[in-house]
Amino acid sequence: MNYVKKLSLLLVVALVVVLFSFSVYAQEYGGTFVFGRGGDSVGLDPIQVTDGESFKVTQQVYDTVVMFKPGTTEVIPGLAKDWEVSEDGKTWTFHLREGVEFHDGNPVNAEAIKWNFERWGYEDHPYHIGGEFTYYAYMFQDFPGVIKEVNAVDEYTVEFVLENPQGPFLNNLAMVSFGIASPEAVKKWGEDYFKHPVGSGPFKFVEWKQGDRVVLEANEDYWDGRPYLDKVIFRSIPDNGARYMELRSGSIDMMDYINPEDVQSVEENDDLDLILRPSFNVGYFAMHQDFEPFDNVLVRKAFAHAINKEALIGAFYAGLAEPAKNPLPPSIWGYNDEIEDYPYDLEKAKELLAEAGYPDGFEFDFYYMPVPRPYFPQPKMIAQAVQYYLSEIGVTANLLSYDWGTYLDKYYDDQFQTYILGWTGDNGDPDNFLYVLLDQTQNNCGYESEELHEILIEAQKSVDKEERVALYEEAQEIIHEDVPWVPIAHSTPPLVKKTMVKNYIPNPTSTEKLHRVWLDD
Amino acid sequence: MTNEEIKRRPSNPWYEAGRRLLKNRIGLLGIAFIGILVFIAIFAPLIAPYDPLAQNIMGRYKAPSSEHLLGTDEMGRDILSRIIYGSRISLQVGLFSVSIALVTGVFLGLLAGYYGGFWDMLIMRIMDIMLAFPAILLAIAIVAILGPQLRNAMLAIGIINIPRFARIVRSSAISIKESEYILAAKMMGASDVRIIFFHLLPNAMAPLIVQTTLSIATAILEAAALSFLGLGAQPPTPEWGAMLTDARSSLQQAPWVATFPGLAIIFGVLGFNLLGDGLRDALDPKMKNV
Repeated sequence: MNYVKKLSLLLVVALVVVLFSFSVYAQEYGGTFVFGRGGDSVGLDPIQVTDGESFKVTQQVYDTVVMFKPGTTEVIPGLAKDWEVSEDGKTWTFHLREGVEFHDGNPVNAEAIKWNFERWGYEDHPYHIGGEFTYYAYMFQDFPGVIKEVNAVDEYTVEFVLENPQGPFLNNLAMVSFGIASPEAVKKWGEDYFKHPVGSGPFKFVEWKQGDRVVLEANEDYWDGRPYLDKVIFRSIPDNGARYMELRSGSIDMMDYINPEDVQSVEENDDLDLILRPSFNVGYFAMHQDFEPFDNVLVRKAFAHAINKEALIGAFYAGLAEPAKNPLPPSIWGYNDEIEDYPYDLEKAKELLAEAGYPDGFEFDFYYMPVPRPYFPQPKMIAQAVQYYLSEIGVTANLLSYDWGTYLDKYYDDQFQTYILGWTGDNGDPDNFLYVLLDQTQNNCGYESEELHEILIEAQKSVDKEERVALYEEAQEIIHEDVPWVPIAHSTPPLVKKTMVKNYIPNPTSTEKLHRVWLDD
Repeated sequence: MTNEEIKRRPSNPWYEAGRRLLKNRIGLLGIAFIGILVFIAIFAPLIAPYDPLAQNIMGRYKAPSSEHLLGTDEMGRDILSRIIYGSRISLQVGLFSVSIALVTGVFLGLLAGYYGGFWDMLIMRIMDIMLAFPAILLAIAIVAILGPQLRNAMLAIGIINIPRFARIVRSSAISIKESEYILAAKMMGASDVRIIFFHLLPNAMAPLIVQTTLSIATAILEAAALSFLGLGAQPPTPEWGAMLTDARSSLQQAPWVATFPGLAIIFGVLGFNLLGDGLRDALDPKMKNV
């Protein structure tokens, strides 16, 4: 009897808890969500851009063949509901969801996906225009690279035939840069497509006032259910302090890149929440080896000894970062923790400079980005601090900057002697850091290493994870010895939202779909 | 005795103007401000308590205290020392860019005014076009072409101020080139160069001096504006306008970082403006014997 009583009591309690949580978590439809960010998008055709501010928007407008589970880099179904791979790892077959439409009403079918991949991969494709298709070459090594052919087997079955097995292939397809565009829209707009994006994602593109805002509205027919929000607006407010003031005054609902000095006041404010994006990035100082004297490894090592990473993190990241010794962040598999970083040691740095033949230092240009990034929340200040550290070993850095789009263009054009930049992983695979950033066919710091190239290619072709781990660990040793960069920090980027914004789950890859976000008015 | 004194007193107009300026309180205040500024600029290394570039990133945004009289900025640098060194840059910008404007503007104005005709037409239409743009916009365009550096900003500010000087000199040249003493000089065989530099130019001196002083004030302000926009002095140069930019994002929790460079700009600009006003009164021929 007692037992039954207890059990029924438990049931009642459980029922109350369930009902209560239901009332608290009853999602509401409607509302406009305004996100304040540090910079404008560069373009809205995801294959043509590499910056997070562009991806934040294209993530909403486009779907990918597969996608990442919220908050992780685990692959889950996207436009494809399931898939299989052949024994030899060379043929991947994807079965698509039926009845999905692009925002312009055209069907998302096997032909559309084939058309997109051919547009990206074939340099002689009539619509291989409007940019460099950078990410395609990053992830598939060339044009057309690893992907030998894409076949539309039937209306809803698409097949990829690869030259050789590729370890990160499935994760690559989930990347935001491979968002499937409506072929008809690309044909209609041509070179200007980047201003008129049409995908099948949870939000439709409405307008883009360059330098100011991008406006999106809910896609009523989204295959994963109508988004809770009616409208999403991405506003660019470059100054961290001004953006925070707007959040406090209520004109935006959420923001990223907060000044470390403001973190405490967020924690004290009941209307605001600080949420952390899982750390998955690296911020680095690069020295371009096409320019003297950075072709000399002793100079690069001297710089590595001259920068006090711990102090930078204490001052400019509110402690939400850890010093970097590898290009890979520690949260990714394959990270080599055996490597010992070059310690902060000015004497050693001066010795190395003298040994390299520059006892009296030298002068060079040092570029920093004009907008805050997750890995460098205060780039101008960090650049000035690095400049000061370097002045202490007798070298003179002239600080220079360009607007964000130009900055990236000049970086890809190999025009910078030294610069700070960073990377947030896109697909959870070490290949997306090491090959993309440092392989001799890809990097923009004049770094050439045949040895590293062979290891990275071998690791790409392998589908055996243990073997790949060993290869990537070796790669990091080579990079450590060659010092193409001074890795500075892996940050845990903070985001600040109003407490009324519910169910925002930050993804380590730095962008996430917003159709499950709702506002509790 | 009294009569003799009056006779001996030189009737030099410059002497008269100097006397009037010294009686003008506003002008004197301007001279005092500029004097302080120049003194600080010259003796900056002796006055400044710290190296203006020395960072201490563990001591950022410290409020004013006995250790740092005006506090520290976003890099933990001493704001007082930076303002003191910044005075050198502001004066340098003022003098250098106004010199460019003065020399070029005077030359073009004399040319246009004295020769007239085609040259007048050509030069003054170019000046009109330059005046048609808002000055700061033109400066931004020039710096955008030359690249963002303090040197280029000074050059740009110099260029945008040329038309003002050219106009002043031209109008005074036109008004006196037909006068009898110029004709007399011509008949005595004076060359054009001699007439331009010994007769026309001295007559334009009074308005030029006023314009120069006032232009230094606007040049300081324009340089600060360009640096504020990131087009002038580059970090870590302690330029007042650049200091304001960097202080912007910390306005709420560290207002002193923005306040003091702002006050410094006001001080410098006010000094030159007051002196300019004083000079205008002193050099006005209608104000004689006041």
